[in-house]
Amino acid sequence: MPREIALFGVYLPSLTLLFLATLAAGWALDRLAAWFGLYRHAWHPTLLRMSLFTCLYGLVALYIYR
Amino acid sequence: MSWKRVISVVFTLLVFAAAAYIVRTLWVHYMDSPWTRDGRVRADVINIAPDVAGLVVEVAVKDNQQVRKGDLLLRIDDEHYRLALKQAEALVAARKAQLQMNQENAQRRTDLDALVVSKESRINASHLAHAAQADYQEALAQLEVARLNLSRTEVRAPVDGYVTNLNVFEGDFANRGEAALALVDSHSFYVYGYFEETRLPLIRVGDQAELRLMSGERLSGRVDSIARGIYDRDNPESRDLVADVNPTFNWVRLARRIPVRIRIDEVPEGVTLAAGLTCTVIVTPPADRPRPLPDRW
Repeated sequence: MPREIALFGVYLPSLTLLFLATLAAGWALDRLAAWFGLYRHAWHPTLLRMSLFTCLYGLVALYIYR
Repeated sequence: MSWKRVISVVFTLLVFAAAAYIVRTLWVHYMDSPWTRDGRVRADVINIAPDVAGLVVEVAVKDNQQVRKGDLLLRIDDEHYRLALKQAEALVAARKAQLQMNQENAQRRTDLDALVVSKESRINASHLAHAAQADYQEALAQLEVARLNLSRTEVRAPVDGYVTNLNVFEGDFANRGEAALALVDSHSFYVYGYFEETRLPLIRVGDQAELRLMSGERLSGRVDSIARGIYDRDNPESRDLVADVNPTFNWVRLARRIPVRIRIDEVPEGVTLAAGLTCTVIVTPPADRPRPLPDRW
């Protein structure tokens, strides 16, 4: 995975665009988990959802930079 | 408090801890490791200037052509210098005759009786002969200079390299010492990585470095040296011989960047290096000797 993506000749870090992609993917996973009622059993659902998204995006970033 | 509740608390905390760990790893990797995206490929660029002035009668190279050391680059009109050589040769002949005459005179006077020729005349003749000897040597030196000038009408490549920005054409008048074209030394390519000063403690001379060109090609290199000075922009030269210190804000600071010179190990087949290319530099300190960052204040 290249660290940079050319957007009309401007080289942007891939992470900026991947953030949007991760946001979409994270939202889909979030809906899925909600559909199965996972969050009903969670201790602070907001904290769990936030942490899950952070893990997802952090792993993507680590994959690119390592 | 049921088991279910305990499991849900533990699970949430575990996910949170994982997130915190990943963020920390990212932070350490991004902020506290010696790498920079601000690197430049550089090379020694030699400004080729003729050593003698004159009309350019031949440009033996094309733009961007590869040349070997000693190849002909330019030929300056040598007519003037041939004539100068002839002049110098004539002068040598004249001085030689002069020398001979003076030496014979001196010899003759030495051989004559002291009653016939005065001591003064004898000494004068001897000095004249010495002066003529010096004049003769001067003429010989001028002959050498004329020969050198003639040979310098051919401008040759001082190193292996590539002709760049060729801006001289047949019929141009080339001035002595005025650069006519640039030659990029093909053995001199290196990379300057501009590292933030906060990362410098992690870099040592001799460390392995990975170089990534913007086009994606990878090269390997080694830290060759670290620059020991950059310009102090907060204190430029002032007109009145007093310091011109910028009033800065203490809250936010930007790390200055120090050039670190990276020697390229080997250029892989098919990679075209050009001075000025952008390049990412990743220095890998040896794994067995970790270098902790000092506390920052």
